[in-house]
Amino acid sequence: MGTRILTVEDDERIRTVVEFALEDEGWTVEGVDTGEEALRSFSRSAADVVLIDIMLPGVDGFEVCRSIRQMSDVPIVMVTARADTHDVVAGLEAGADDYLTKPFATKELSARIRALLRRTRTTPPGSVQMIFGDLEILPDQGVVRVAGREVHVTKTEFRLLVEFAVQPGRVLSRETLLGRVWDYGYFGDNRIVDVHIRRLRTKIEPDPASPRHIVTVRGLGYKLQA
Amino acid sequence: MPSVWRRLGLQARITFLFATGGLLLSILMATSTLTFARRNLIEDRRQRAFAVLVRNAIQLNDRLDNETDPEDIDLIFDTLTVTERSFPLLNFQDRWTSEQTLVFNEDNIPAALVDYVAEGSAARITTSLNDKPAFIMGIPIPGVEAAYYEAALADDVEQALRILGIIVTGVAVATTLLAAATGAWASRRVLTPLAEVRGAAESLAAGELDTRLDPPADADLASLTASFNRMARTLEDRIERDARFASAVSHELRSPLMTLNASIEVLQNNCEELSARSRTALDLLTDDAIRFTHLIEDLLEINRYDVGTASLHAERLDLVEFVRQCIAHSPFSANLDVGNLSVLPITGDKRRLKQVVTNLLDNATKYGHDLRVELAEQDKWASLAVEDHGPGVPPDEREIIFDRFSRGSAGRHRGHGTGTGLGLSLVAEHVGLHGGHVKVEDRLDGQSGARFVVKLALRVPRLNLDTDNVESAEHKQET
Repeated sequence: MGTRILTVEDDERIRTVVEFALEDEGWTVEGVDTGEEALRSFSRSAADVVLIDIMLPGVDGFEVCRSIRQMSDVPIVMVTARADTHDVVAGLEAGADDYLTKPFATKELSARIRALLRRTRTTPPGSVQMIFGDLEILPDQGVVRVAGREVHVTKTEFRLLVEFAVQPGRVLSRETLLGRVWDYGYFGDNRIVDVHIRRLRTKIEPDPASPRHIVTVRGLGYKLQA
Repeated sequence: MPSVWRRLGLQARITFLFATGGLLLSILMATSTLTFARRNLIEDRRQRAFAVLVRNAIQLNDRLDNETDPEDIDLIFDTLTVTERSFPLLNFQDRWTSEQTLVFNEDNIPAALVDYVAEGSAARITTSLNDKPAFIMGIPIPGVEAAYYEAALADDVEQALRILGIIVTGVAVATTLLAAATGAWASRRVLTPLAEVRGAAESLAAGELDTRLDPPADADLASLTASFNRMARTLEDRIERDARFASAVSHELRSPLMTLNASIEVLQNNCEELSARSRTALDLLTDDAIRFTHLIEDLLEINRYDVGTASLHAERLDLVEFVRQCIAHSPFSANLDVGNLSVLPITGDKRRLKQVVTNLLDNATKYGHDLRVELAEQDKWASLAVEDHGPGVPPDEREIIFDRFSRGSAGRHRGHGTGTGLGLSLVAEHVGLHGGHVKVEDRLDGQSGARFVVKLALRVPRLNLDTDNVESAEHKQET
C-alpha cells in the first residue's frame, strides 16, 4: 500500500482538483469536507500526510490540527488564505509542519508533501547514540530521551534535532535549516523554523524560557550544545 | 499695498486694525487733554501774574510822588508783592530800578511793550526770559510819569505740562499695546476653531480617516463642525467601502482561481492525452490564468495598503545575496554589478522586497533582455538600480509612472511580460513601507534607457559578522 494523504477542504471543486493532482503523483488520496469527518477518518486509519484548510465550517482547521497532533506525529500541511496574517503562526503553533497560501500551485503542494515524507538519513553510519548532557538522541530508533525519560517529538522536530546533533556546536542559520529539513530555497518563511524550535524547546528544555540545549545565536541562527 | 495687506493673515490684519484704532483714539485723547491743560494752566498763571502786577502798580502809585528820592525806591520795592518767579522793574524819572538786574532789566523788555506802556496802556507779552517761558507785563503809573514792569516766569507750568505730556504719551502707548493685544486675542479666539479644522483636514489628508472635530462650545461654530464631521464621515465610509469591495472581490476570486490553476496543472500533467489543438488552447489558458492570478495577487497586495493592514515582516538581510537569489529565482536574466561590495546589510520584508526586485526586472524586461542591476552603498543607504534598454521615461511621467494602472507613453503596449499595471505602484508602496524611496531617471552611461533606483536604509551592524551564510532572520517572535 502506497502513501496515503488525507485532505480536508470544504470547497468541493478545490478538493477534487487537489485529489486529481496528488493522485497524478501516485499517492492515494482521501478527501473529506469537514473537520469532524477528518478526525473520524484519521482515527479509523492513519494517513501519512494530512492537508488541512484553516477555514472549515464547524470544527476549524486549527482544532483539527491539534486533535490529530494528540493522536499522531503525522506530517501536517496547513492551507491559509493569506501569508502575512497571524493564521500562519497560529497554524504552526497548533502543530502544523508546514503551510501553503491559497491559491497555491499543486506542484508546490506535491513538493511540500515530498519534503515532509523524505526520510532524513543525515546520521553518520555507526552512530547509534548521541548525548548532549541530559539530552540523548537515538537516530536509528527515532527516540529522544531527556534525563533518561523518553520524550515524544514529531517527525519534523526529530529531523530538526538530528540536523543539530550531527554538527554539535555549529551554528545553523534559519535558511540552512529550512533547506535541509523542509526543502525550501532562499525564500522560505523563517517563522516555520522559529515556531518548530520553540516547540522543540518546550519538549527537551528543563526551562524553555532560558534554553540550555538549543540556543539562539543572535543574527546568525541556532546551535545545539550539551 | 492692497496685495501686501491681503497677504497678511487675518489675525495680523485684525491685530493691526485694533492697534491702529487704539493709537488714533489715544492720540485724540492725549491731544485734547494737553491742549486743555495748557490753556487753563497758562491762562490761570497769566491772570494771577497780571493781578499781582496791578496790585503792585497801585502800591507804587500810592507811594511814589515827584518828590520821591530815587534813593528811597529800594525801600518802596520791598513793600511790593514779589514771588520767587516774579521780577519787578520800575522806570521812574528815566531811571530803571530792578530787584534782580541780572535776571530782568530794561534790555529784556520788548520795544513793542515799551511803546504800548508809553501810550498809556497796560500790556503783556508772552515771551521768554533767559530761555525760560515768561510773561512780561507793563503798566503806566500816570501820576508820577513812571512805568512799572514785571516779568513772571512760567517755567514751572511748562514743567508740569511736560510731565503731563509724558504721562499722556505713556498712557497712549499702553492703550495702543492693549488694543493690539485685544485684537490678537480676539482674532485668535475667532481663528482657533479654524486652526482646529485645518489640523483635522490635514490629518484626514494624511490618511487618518477617523479624524473628527469635537463639538464646539460656541453655538456659532456648531454648524461648521457638524458639516466638517459629516464630510469626514462620508469620506471615510466611501473609502472603506471601496477598499472592502476590492478586498471582498479579490478574496472571492481566490477560490475559483485556485480551482482554475489546479485544473490547468492537472491538464498540463496529462497533456500527452490531448490533441495538438487542445494543447495550444491549454497553453493560452495557462498564460492568461497566470496573468490573472498575478493581477488578483497584486490587487490584494495593494488593497492591504488601502485598508491599512499592510504590516512589515522585517528580518535582517544582506541585499547583495538577496538580489542575487531574486534574480536566480526569477525567469529574467540580468547582470548583477555589485562593484567591490561584499555585503549590504538591511532590514527588510523578504516577500515584499522580492516583489520589488521581480517587478522592476519584469518592467525592464519589456525593453530587451540584457538588464543591468547595480548595487551600491551611498551614505546610509543601500541603493539598488535596474537599468533597461527602452526609450526611457520622460521627466513629466516620472511621478505618474508609479500610479496604479498608469502606463507611460512608452509602455502602452501590452502582450508580453506579466505586467499587471500594478507592478510599479507595488514597488513604490513596498519601498515606502520600508522607509525607503524609489525614483526613475535616465541611464547614467548616456545610453537610451530608464534607470529605476530604490534606496533602502542600511542597517547599522550590531555584530561584526563574516559573510559565511550569516544573514538570517531575527524574528520578532523569537524568544
